[in-house]
Amino acid sequence: MSDKSNDVLLEVKDLKKHFAPHQSLAQTLSGKNRRVVKAVDGVSFSIHRGEIFGLIGESGSGKTTTGKLVMKLIDPTSGSIVFNGEDVTVTDKERTQAYRRQVQMIFQDPYASMNPRFKIKDVMDEPLVIHKIEGDHVEHEKMIIKALTEVKLNPPEEFMGRYPHMLSGGQRQRIATARTLILNPMMLVADEPVSMIDLSTRAEILHMMKDVQRDLGLTYLYITHDLSTARYFTDRIAVMYLGRIVEMGRAEDLIDNPLHPYTKALIEAVPEPRTGKVDVIKELPISGEIPSPANIPSGCRFHTRCPYAKPECSSEAEPELMDVGNGHFHACRRYKEI
Amino acid sequence: MSMKDVGYRFKEFWDDFRKETSGLIGLGILVLSLVVVLFEPVFLPFKDVDGNWRNISYWQDSPPAAPPAWTNLFAAEKSATTAYLNDPIVEDVDDPDFGLARVYTFKYNYKYDKSPLDIIFRAKGDGMLFMNLSVIRPDGETVYLGQVYEDGLAGDDIRFTVDTDARSSVYEFIRAHASEEAIANSDSSNVKATDIIFAKAGADMLSAREPLKGEYLYKVTIPASLFEDEANRIDEAKLIVTGRVSGVLGTDTSKRDIYSGIIAGLKWALFIGLVTSVISVLVGVLYGIISAYFGGTTDTIMSFIFEVFVSMPMLPILIVLSATFKPSIWIIIGAMIVFYWVGPVKTVRSMALQIKEETYIEAAKALGAGKWRIIFKHMAPILLPYSFANMALSVPGAIVAESSLSLLGLGDPSIISWGQILHDAQLSGATLNGLWWWIVPPGLFIAVMGMTFAFLGFAMDKILHPKLRTR
Amino acid sequence: MDKLLEVKNLKLYYHTSKGAVRALDDVSFDLYKGETLGLVGESGCGKTTTGVALLKMPSPPGRIEPGSQIILDGRDIMPLPEKEIRKNVRWEEVAMVFQGAMNCLTPVYTIGKQMLETLQEHRDMDKAQAEELIKEYLGLVGLPPEVMGRYPHELSGGMKQRIVIATALFLKPKLVILDEPTTALDVIVQAQIINLLKKLKKTFDLSFIFITHDLSLEAEVSDRICVMYAGKIAELGTNQQIYGEQGPMHPYTEKLLQATPLLHKKVDSLSYIPGTPPDLIDPPKGCRFHPRCHKAMDKCSQEEPPLLEVEPGHMVACWRCGK
Repeated sequence: MSDKSNDVLLEVKDLKKHFAPHQSLAQTLSGKNRRVVKAVDGVSFSIHRGEIFGLIGESGSGKTTTGKLVMKLIDPTSGSIVFNGEDVTVTDKERTQAYRRQVQMIFQDPYASMNPRFKIKDVMDEPLVIHKIEGDHVEHEKMIIKALTEVKLNPPEEFMGRYPHMLSGGQRQRIATARTLILNPMMLVADEPVSMIDLSTRAEILHMMKDVQRDLGLTYLYITHDLSTARYFTDRIAVMYLGRIVEMGRAEDLIDNPLHPYTKALIEAVPEPRTGKVDVIKELPISGEIPSPANIPSGCRFHTRCPYAKPECSSEAEPELMDVGNGHFHACRRYKEI
Repeated sequence: MSMKDVGYRFKEFWDDFRKETSGLIGLGILVLSLVVVLFEPVFLPFKDVDGNWRNISYWQDSPPAAPPAWTNLFAAEKSATTAYLNDPIVEDVDDPDFGLARVYTFKYNYKYDKSPLDIIFRAKGDGMLFMNLSVIRPDGETVYLGQVYEDGLAGDDIRFTVDTDARSSVYEFIRAHASEEAIANSDSSNVKATDIIFAKAGADMLSAREPLKGEYLYKVTIPASLFEDEANRIDEAKLIVTGRVSGVLGTDTSKRDIYSGIIAGLKWALFIGLVTSVISVLVGVLYGIISAYFGGTTDTIMSFIFEVFVSMPMLPILIVLSATFKPSIWIIIGAMIVFYWVGPVKTVRSMALQIKEETYIEAAKALGAGKWRIIFKHMAPILLPYSFANMALSVPGAIVAESSLSLLGLGDPSIISWGQILHDAQLSGATLNGLWWWIVPPGLFIAVMGMTFAFLGFAMDKILHPKLRTR
Repeated sequence: MDKLLEVKNLKLYYHTSKGAVRALDDVSFDLYKGETLGLVGESGCGKTTTGVALLKMPSPPGRIEPGSQIILDGRDIMPLPEKEIRKNVRWEEVAMVFQGAMNCLTPVYTIGKQMLETLQEHRDMDKAQAEELIKEYLGLVGLPPEVMGRYPHELSGGMKQRIVIATALFLKPKLVILDEPTTALDVIVQAQIINLLKKLKKTFDLSFIFITHDLSLEAEVSDRICVMYAGKIAELGTNQQIYGEQGPMHPYTEKLLQATPLLHKKVDSLSYIPGTPPDLIDPPKGCRFHPRCHKAMDKCSQEEPPLLEVEPGHMVACWRCGK
């Protein structure tokens, strides 16, 4: 793993995705433009080779949209995505296809991500067919069995003829992972891969994903709302709020020593299995709910909910990510005072 | 999907389907129709009806506007039914006129009250032929019918009809029996030859006719010496007794057998209905999926085109088309497809809009699947079962539309369709003349065929539509 | 402390064509006045089914089997006719906030209209009175009165959940069953709702049954925890007994806790429970957990362990934990 490009596999620069709401002809003509939804509004981060990078945020923070942008499932409004030294923001069909071989996705609901009419064999065969992987049925079958073995589905032959609904949630997520592995990708984007899975087997799936990552030298972009699994699973974490990263750093640093008031609030709110809190009303530093991405506050976008907000927070330009050393970044100009 | 899965899905469908009584009725009628189409020759009394429907000479031996044979059951006086005598007894006998002669004898058992309309002798001949024709009645009387002399034959038809060719000969028979007075009082041109042959002989046989029931022998006598020359041959000798009632469903004024027409029309009805509906529904389903999947401007334009087609009335345009071009079944089917494909579009589009948002579609995209793979591999298989129901439901429309066109006289003349039978009936004033057997059956068959597919379609719709059966 | 609810030998079977699914099999527990009892377990363990059974409204083909007793405030509601239940028990004494209820608000009516309808269904009051009451309850759950004129799609998930909670409290029930009330919500909103529930409990002197799959959340809300597995109670103890230093006793609870990732502690490897919960038509012989248990012994696959009190207030159904 000695690469000249500082080992960066994926670099996202000032990525933006603005959705123009669907308008009728009459609305367009009358000039009554509805507000643009700024789902992702200037996100930059880079993921190193062999790293697990966590993207954390509440619903409406833009984390899933960021994942889709990285997957090139949607086109960005502006910004760039550089993968393995190559700008892939705008690509022709062939290069997109090549990119798709290298970057794969695991979805939140493993069941919904498989066509219910496909057998596991067909589910697994699909990437091979799409990418015209050479080989006849027998060779394809061998590859499928190898991938199923990698995710520890034993014996793999037994699963080939089944339909997704005949499997448990954990087994489905293993299949979903195996499907992404069959093309030997370099990176996986995992969008809440364990949130639909029972607690008792959640750790099992995370283990499996970690093992696969170690064995195959993969890089993960792990998207979640759950700080606890992120702490356990990831190397670095970026916290998103309303389409922007507000804090980013090594997982322990960020959780044990949060700098941004939003991160602090998030951590505060997470319940922990410890006794003695039943009669305690939790002190929540922030109130209210995340504003609509169609109506982003001026200045620091968090100021409307920030307990430490000063007038300059809303009047001055939005703070950029600042480095406090040790790879820990934050976007709060008053972090020293709080 | 392997055969086993298809089998499993089908079994699942069948388990539901057989609970639908109307669906089973529809399926029963459809299977029956298919059997009839497959074994059509078995059911057709006139095997060559297809190509000869508008050929007048093909039907010349049948009676015109004869009611169905079974109407005898309800009539006080039984009418002779049409009979085909194909196996004459051939023997060589001594004939007073010819010496040794070959005699073809047809036995006909007459047990009716009203005589047949005609007796027709038919054969194919070669070279020179000469023959005497006569009838020996149950009362022992012989009625001499006439002679046929033909030369230079080469497999040509020989046709001798009693009604026209034996008129004068039969008159001789009347003169031999009826009183002078009666003959003087009657108009010989008014006498029907068959009436005389099948009536008791007597002085007043012209005024008070009584049927003479029993076995009649129709004899064709040919001098045996003719056959010494091998060039002279007679083949396929047969006798047709043209009844006053005829066939399963009677005949029309052009002597055509309506039952044959209806059986031959069945395959066309099925063909028109199925081809139109299958093609138009497939086009519609695909159109709906594409419109939904691509979305945006494509969707807007496609929806607009769809709206235009929906708002165009089909029949007037079909009429103009058929009147402008030479009416052909292909043009009619093509035109119907142009109007029928819109049927499933709206529903399919809305369902496809839902499926499009499913995660597995997104997952397929993330894997790199192209749009056509997603449309054909992921979306179409889920929407197709629904379209089966749609296909069944649009069959009746196509059948009725073709019938309507034909009724207006714009059908394809090279096929037999039920609508055309109705058209002919209407032209001949069948309703005014009380020829109900010409109007009711084709109308009924159009209705039953429509109902069959409607039943099938409703049953399938109920099973396949409510849930998309994906989970 | 007085008992508000006593559940004895509760059995609820779903009678399917493949056999009876024993969703609840001999479940007994008490609920004291003013207490929050937590029901935890994996999906399909019978948590929600217990809640539904307490309202006496199992969904077909489910049936509460004879011999089950639900004693509410000293009165067994099992023999009561449906009419009486509807008039005096359901929503009047026992209310339930269903999982995902916030997504079941009718999209075409305003919040006010929907709340008004619910209220007038049960209480004989005119519109002005009812609206006053609604405003009062909206205030209690921390919503401004203007919300009455809004449509559900204009509100956030947290606001909708507050409305559902307010609606459940209208008729002043003694017991509120909360089925995963915060599952679809973000952590900060979840914490807000939990705080609200704690306040409301004090204000109205309520008792809660709090159903969730989240052991961490349960630690913050429930006085006593009831861990369910495959339609049975595996362990029942106080918050201290389950989450305290000494830790839980049943191997299932123990493993569940070890599988819970902790925010402030970096662990190298989380443990997990292999396999999947059993088929409830034909559950394993003996202890239902033994095929997945790391401490199973021969006896576990032979005999079913009874739910025994191993220390005051701490019940465990495990052969390893007998006294």
